[in-house]
This record gives sequence, C-alpha cells and structure tokens, in this order.
Amino acid sequence: MRLETKLGLFNGLSKLLLVLLGALLIPPIVQRVAVGHTDQRLRDKKEELLHLINRDGLAAFLRAEKSESYADYNILKQEYITITPLPEHAAGAAGADRVGQPTERIFEERRQVDKEVEDFRILSYVAPLAPTPAAAGGVAARRYRLEIGSSLATVELLTDTLRRLALWVLVAGALITVFTDAAFAHYLLRPLRELISRKLRGIRQPGEFSFARLDTDTTDFRRLDDSLSALMRQLQTSFEKEREFMSNVSHELLTPTSILQSRFENMLQDPTLPEPHAQQIVESQRTLYRLRNTVRTLLLIANIENEQYLRDASVSLTQTVHDVAEELDDRRQQREIDLHVDLSPDYSVPRANATLLHTLLRNLLSNAIKYNHENGQIRVLGRPTPTGGYELRVEDQGPGIAAENLPLLFDRFRRFHATGPKAPEGYGLGLPIAQTIATFHKATLRAESVVGQGTAFVLDFEAAG
Amino acid sequence: MHVLLVEDEKSLHQEVRQFLTQAQYLVDSAYTYAEASEKLYVNSYDFVLLDLGLPGGDGLELLRDARRSEKQEASFIILTARGALDDRIKGLDLGADDYLPKPFSLLELTSRMQAITRRKFGLKRPEITFGEGFVMDVTARTVRHGSTPEVPGPEVPLTKKEFDLLHYLLLHRGRVLTRLQLGEHLWGNVLEDDSDSNYIDVHIKNVRKKLAQFGSADFIETVRGIGYRAV
Repeated sequence: MRLETKLGLFNGLSKLLLVLLGALLIPPIVQRVAVGHTDQRLRDKKEELLHLINRDGLAAFLRAEKSESYADYNILKQEYITITPLPEHAAGAAGADRVGQPTERIFEERRQVDKEVEDFRILSYVAPLAPTPAAAGGVAARRYRLEIGSSLATVELLTDTLRRLALWVLVAGALITVFTDAAFAHYLLRPLRELISRKLRGIRQPGEFSFARLDTDTTDFRRLDDSLSALMRQLQTSFEKEREFMSNVSHELLTPTSILQSRFENMLQDPTLPEPHAQQIVESQRTLYRLRNTVRTLLLIANIENEQYLRDASVSLTQTVHDVAEELDDRRQQREIDLHVDLSPDYSVPRANATLLHTLLRNLLSNAIKYNHENGQIRVLGRPTPTGGYELRVEDQGPGIAAENLPLLFDRFRRFHATGPKAPEGYGLGLPIAQTIATFHKATLRAESVVGQGTAFVLDFEAAG
Repeated sequence: MHVLLVEDEKSLHQEVRQFLTQAQYLVDSAYTYAEASEKLYVNSYDFVLLDLGLPGGDGLELLRDARRSEKQEASFIILTARGALDDRIKGLDLGADDYLPKPFSLLELTSRMQAITRRKFGLKRPEITFGEGFVMDVTARTVRHGSTPEVPGPEVPLTKKEFDLLHYLLLHRGRVLTRLQLGEHLWGNVLEDDSDSNYIDVHIKNVRKKLAQFGSADFIETVRGIGYRAV
C-alpha cells in the first residue's frame, strides 16, 4: 500500500475514533453541565428571593395572615416558586439543635403546577424567616420552606440542543480535517511520488538515471534524493570502469590471441613442416580457439549486461527460428534429426536486438541438435500465455539432464558430468549467453528435463507494455 | 595488389605481412597514426587493413579523411580487438568495406579481400576450373562437369554448405585448411566452445561422393591430422 493511502486511512480511522469517543462522552458531560447550570440558576434565584424577602418582608409574599403558602409560576410553567410555612412541632421533631440552621437540598421530583404534573429540578430551602423586616430582630422567626423549581423538560431540551450541536461540530471538524490532512499529505508527498515514478521506476539501468534535483524543501526528501543521486553516480562510475576494464581486457587478451592464430596459420603453410609438428600446431590452434571463444563469450556477456546493444527492432520469432534452422540445416540433416516448428500465432518481440535473438535461438537449436540422438526429433513450439506473454519451447529427445544438474546449466563455466557413456559432458557457454540475452529482452530462460526422454528449454517473454 | 597494413602490434603486423606477401600481395607498413596518415596521403592503395586502436589517433579518423579525399580509392577493412558494436556501425557508416574482429583468420582476411576485389571490378568470368573438367560458376553458384562452350555439362547437385566448402578450398588452392578454419568459414564467427570438426568431415565426404559420380575427386586431399587441401 502506498504511504499516502496509509496516511489517509490512518487519519480517517483516528478521526472516526474521535467522533465515536465524542458521541460516547459528550451526552453525560453535557448533562452534567446542564444540571450544574440549572442548579446554579436555582441558587441564584434563591439568593435573589431571600434578598427580596429581607427587603420587603415575608408578609409581602404571603397572601394572608392565615399562614398560607405562597406560590408563583411563570406562564409556561417552566419555573415555580413556593414559600410554605412549616409547623413548629415538625421543626422540633426535625431536631432542636438544627432549629436555627437553614438547610438546602436539590433534588428531582414530580410536582403539580396548576393542573399539570411535570418533572422538576427543585431547590428546597428551609430556614426561619421573619414576617416583616421590622420584626426581624425581635419576634422568634418562624421556619418556612422555600422551593424553587425548574422544569426538567426545559433542562432536557437544553441538554439535547447542546448535545446535538457538539456532535455536529465534532463530525464536521473531523470531516474537514480528514480532507485537509489528505490534501496536505498529498502535497507533501509529491516529491516522493516524483522520485519513485520519474527517477526509479522509469529506468532500466543506471545510465538512464536523471540527476535533476528534486523540487522540494522537505529535508528528508532532499536527503533521500541526494543520497540516491550519489549512489547512482557511484554506480555509473563503476559501470564506466567495468566497461573500460572489459575493453582493455578484450584488447589485451585478443591481441596476443590474434598474433598466435596468425602465426599458427603461417606455420601450417610451410611445406617442409614435419607432420607430427603440424599436428601439434593444429592441436594448439584448437586450444587457442577455445581460449578465444571464452574471451569472446565473456566480452559478449559483459557487453550485453552493460547495455552496449541496441533494442530498437521488433523481431518476429518465426522468422528468426527459420533463419537459424536454415543455418543449421546441414548439421541437422547429417544426424537425420526431424525438425517440427509450430508457432501459432507468431510473436514479434518488441524492442529487441535481432542479432542477439538470433544468437540466442541458434544456441538453443544447436544444442538441441548436438545433444539429440540420431533420427531424433526437435520441436519448436510457440504459444501465448494466459498472462499476455509468450512462451517458446525448444524440445529435444536427447538423454536428458538430471534434476540436480538443471540449476547448474546456466552457470558460467560450470560443467557437469552427465550419466551415460555417450552423454555430452556439458552445455558449455552457449546457455549462459542465451540466458543473458533472454534477460536483456526481459524474458526468462529455464530448462525442463526428463532423463531418458529429452530436455525442453523454455523462453518466457513477459507481456508487452 | 597494393596493400597498406596499419597495425601497431609488431608481432601481429609481421604475421599478417608474411601471409599476404606469400599470397602475392605487395605490402606497405604503418605502425602509427602519423605514418599511416602520411602514406595514405602520398600513395594510393588497393587495400587498407586498418587497426582502430593506434598510437597517436583513432583509426576511424584515417578512414574519414581518406573517404573525403577523392584520389584515395582503397578498400578499407577494419581490424579491431575492440569488438564493440558502435565501432562496427561507425566503421561501416564511414565507408569501410568490411570489418573483421580480432582475432581473425588470415585465410578469412584474404577471402574477404578477394570478394571485395570481385565486387569492385565486377570480374567478367567468375568461373573456376578444377579437377578433370569441373567448372564452378561463382555467380550462379553451380558446379558443372564436362561443359563445352556450346553445351553446358550436367550439374553436380551440391547443397549450399557443400558449395561454400568447395569454393573456399578452391579459393585457397594449394593451402592446407584445418577443420577449424573451414568450420569458421561455413558457420561464421559463432561462439561455440568446441568446434564440431566432425561436420566438416561429413561434408567433405559428401562433396567427394557427389563429384566422383562425374569424375575423379582426387584434387581434394586429406592432410592427415591437419585438414584438407585442394590442388
């Protein structure tokens, strides 16, 4: 998963968690705040009421001298106030020591106001109150119960509104930050995307690397870009050195070989050369020939791996197979080997090097002839693969290769001893070359073999695009 | 035939020179860029055998200069150990007539020179007579036996490779050709770890058998332990 997607996902999830947490925590908090707020208001009202009573005297509130209670409520019955005189004995029962002490309680209860019954938050205050301000000092104050109530429906309405508002703010805030965060991450990570798409994914070899500096002021990316460039530069330098080295080696090894080869040829033309010497020279020539081919193989492989060959043609496999087959026709016929070619449909290798592909197929076919038995058969089969690529098989009916030797086939210079007296001693350098060329064309080369039945070399070209 | 051999490696130079002299070429030598440049300016040659890595300059420059001047009509064959594809393309683009990567066979070199000569002068009679009454027509790629100026004789049915093999032997008449040399000519400079000289023997056997149906094929000699020779 890409970094940006991960960041976005994490961000979204954490915001979602936050909203859930909010939904869980906000209602009780709002409830508590609302209740606290209501209680505070009730207390404020009480103080206000006490202040009024102190100023105007209790009598102003009591309707008659009959010790009747006072009640008042606002028009919508959201709040009410009652002042109820308490009987003396009741006060005595409550506790003589507490007679002078005012008590205050806040609780919830149902009350009937006018004709309706409703739940109220009630502040109940019991205290001795003087009937008039003048009497305050002398007459033993009678105890009254002050009750101030606030309708719970009102409180709940408020709580509800608050809760809803808080949730909406939370959700909206979360959504907005999710999007702004994603946008910002997208903007921040742009240099990284560019680094990956332009500098890394688009290149096949260090030579194609772009050293243009990344446009960013993020230190981390700057550093990443710089170290990447430094590494690539190093890589290019060593590639360059390797190329130079190979070129020097080729010159230093091939020139002496060339001298020896020419000298042998000259010596062989001498009519007075005794026959045993001539034979020794021919033997030396063979050794030299092997040396030369070894050097050339190394060079070829190095040059291919160094991208010294062009990939500028679209090459038909059918055509190449036919060219190679014709070239090897005489060898095949000498061993009376039957060749069956069936590429249906034909496949054109895009961005290919015709000479190299020819060499690749020549090596495979030449092996198939060399390691076949006389009167055997070679089958060259080409089929598209389900994944959109193409598979080319070159099958022979030779002695086969033991399973434990299969992985060694493509090792440079690794030879193995096959079982059986007439079995070839090894596939030599042809296969490492073939594999290098296959890799150069983004194809893979592998071998399948059954001892005693034959070997198939399978070339898998990956889907174009 | 006047040849300028441009090669800085002394031993190789000597060997090539010896071989070409034996093959009746007149060989002029240059070991450095300056020498070669001067000789090319002063003399005119039929062939320039050009090594690319020269002390004092790039051999390709010599080729470029020579192609610019009108009086130099030499055919250029590039000899190089660099073996890089670029050089090859550049060389042929600049007008080289052929390209031989080192190490090369001297026989192959002389064959290419002959081929270039034939191409250049459009030889009228690309025919080689050999054996008792055999005639090889190089253009038509046929071998006939007992032809008279009026009536062409019957054709010897040779395969492509058999024809090439016989042609190569006849081109180098009197020389011993090893199986390696013959193989290299027939299949080109293909990288194979061991030369399957057996194929050559089979080809020679077949060529002899086919020729023997018309006349004696004794002119192809087997040189024991070495190879074959046409006389």
